[in-house]
Amino acid sequence: MTTYAFLLDIGRCIGCQACVAACKTGNEVPEGRQYIRIVEQTRGTFPNLRGSFQNLRCYHCADAACVTVCPTGALYKEEGLTRLDREKCSGCTYCVDACPYDVPVLADDGRSSKCDGCAAVVKAGGTPWCVKTCPSHALLYDERPKILAEAHRRAAALKMRYPNAQVYGETEAGGLGVVLVLPDDPMALGLPANPNVPLSLTAWQKALQPASLGLTGLSIAFTGLAAVIARRNHLQEVRTLEARNSTGQPTPEAQETKDQ
Amino acid sequence: MTTQTLPHKRQVLRYRVGPRIIHAMLASSFVLLLVTGLMLVWGPLAPYAAGGGSRLIHRIGAVVFMLIPVAYLLFDRPGARELLWDSFHYDRDDWKWLKQVYRYFLGHAAEMPPQGRLNAGQKLHHAGVVIFSALIVASGLLLWVGKGSFTPNGLALAAMLHDVSMLVLTVLLVGHLYFTFVYNALQGMVKGYIPEREARLEHSKWVDSLPEKEPWIVEEVVESPESAVLSPEF
Ligand code: HEM
Ligand code: HEM
Ligand code: SF4
Ligand code: SF4
Ligand code: SF4
Repeated sequence: MTTYAFLLDIGRCIGCQACVAACKTGNEVPEGRQYIRIVEQTRGTFPNLRGSFQNLRCYHCADAACVTVCPTGALYKEEGLTRLDREKCSGCTYCVDACPYDVPVLADDGRSSKCDGCAAVVKAGGTPWCVKTCPSHALLYDERPKILAEAHRRAAALKMRYPNAQVYGETEAGGLGVVLVLPDDPMALGLPANPNVPLSLTAWQKALQPASLGLTGLSIAFTGLAAVIARRNHLQEVRTLEARNSTGQPTPEAQETKDQ
Repeated sequence: MTTQTLPHKRQVLRYRVGPRIIHAMLASSFVLLLVTGLMLVWGPLAPYAAGGGSRLIHRIGAVVFMLIPVAYLLFDRPGARELLWDSFHYDRDDWKWLKQVYRYFLGHAAEMPPQGRLNAGQKLHHAGVVIFSALIVASGLLLWVGKGSFTPNGLALAAMLHDVSMLVLTVLLVGHLYFTFVYNALQGMVKGYIPEREARLEHSKWVDSLPEKEPWIVEEVVESPESAVLSPEF
């Protein structure tokens, strides 16, 4: 299966907000929400200031914590990207709490919302809105190996000016679906150096929920069946007792019960 | 034993009005909690949960559920004793009874070892309810107050504890409803009285210990006698 990925070159982002606007108008983004936020960052001390623009958006982790905790299946992986089927979301907020990048947010309708990699556009053969509008080629979308190669090429070039320049997302959180080219250390840019979320327990939860449903269903089916038999047996023993009471001595039926 | 002849219509007081109200609180809040809880995690119900209404109802249900121990303390201390003490103590007849539980399960109460006010199966059920209610309240409170500040694993642990307790309580409920149906026990929780004949069949040691007078034993229940409605604690 081909996996796809975005390239996000922070060295090239000029903070123009074009992707933000394109994403919002192109997609049915819920009211009050935006899937990309551009944050201006300054590092260093005067007069050696350096600025860049951080894109806060879903990075489509391969080992996506949000997908692991989502109990309804609204969040799922597809072709390397993390999709969200908002129709299925229960608004439990587990993804909000689990995401190491604080991406998902409940929209006003009580359902989770985040970038789904322009699922509808891409499936129709198009390019994601943000990529299409970016005027400075800071964003690309392609098969992941090609994106990775391009990222390393760009990082190498960037290293001439910024010695700490590097690729982020090749392996982080299992490998991100948004490969970033950073002009500096991730920490300096406000990105967690190690976003891997230990989810040993959550994996259990995944197995537990279907198992619970199965077990409950089974117990209902089993007792439902037994109820018919047992109720008849009990009515019979009450009738036996009644007969015994009216004659004052044990009936053959009562004897029978005793022999069992 | 159950072989003695029994007057036809005599009724035995099973639950006064206090315990009946408490049980209604318990049953209704539990079902409410179960449905609104499942809505968050079960795909087919999930779309109806979005918006937060079900989460609010879940919390209201939780408050009612957590008030049950208080209600027991105020209005049904013998009941509380039964749940917290008797349900955890099994005599020799109880063990014998449990060994033959399959017969009781299939509707044959007649030749079972004699039982007290609670049979050994009820004791197991009630003990399970006590333990897993405590767990579901503890984990539920953790999810309530701690959700935003948990690590993902902490959150998963609390949710797992909550889920496991829910599962156990739900399976217990299935069994509870099963025996209620098979032994026609609902009348005791609705009217308060059950026929002496059935009471002796299933709880002979208990009936033997009751005083032979109203309100414990009545000839026929048309309406609950005054004295049964107004329990000493009420
Ligand atoms: C009084 C005790 C209870 C409290 C305080 C409580 C509280 C909570 C809280 C805070 C949540 C997290 C969901 C959210 O933030 O809206 C939750 C989830 C849930 N509750 Fe409860 N609850 C209680 C009892 C119950 C009972 C008795 C049941 C069912 C039998 C139940 C079933 C569920 C289920 C199925 C979930 C979603 C499961 C999950 O989080 O993995 N709860 N509860
Ligand atoms: C939803 C429908 C329910 C029905 C129809 C029902 C029915 C009954 C009946 C008939 C009894 C009396 C049995 C006897 O003669 O001793 C009883 C007792 C009891 N039930 Fe339920 N029940 C329901 C739900 C629940 C739930 C959800 C729980 C706990 C989670 C529960 C816990 C108990 C306990 C602890 C007792 C003993 C009452 C006491 O000692 O005060 N029941 N129930
Ligand atoms: S991929 Fe689509 S949904 Fe995601 S940020 Fe870009 S335009 Fe928005
Ligand atoms: S960045 Fe957050 S929302 Fe996006 S895939 Fe990773 S865990 Fe999920
Ligand atoms: S809020 Fe929605 S998308 Fe997020 S974990 Fe819950 S059900 Fe899944």
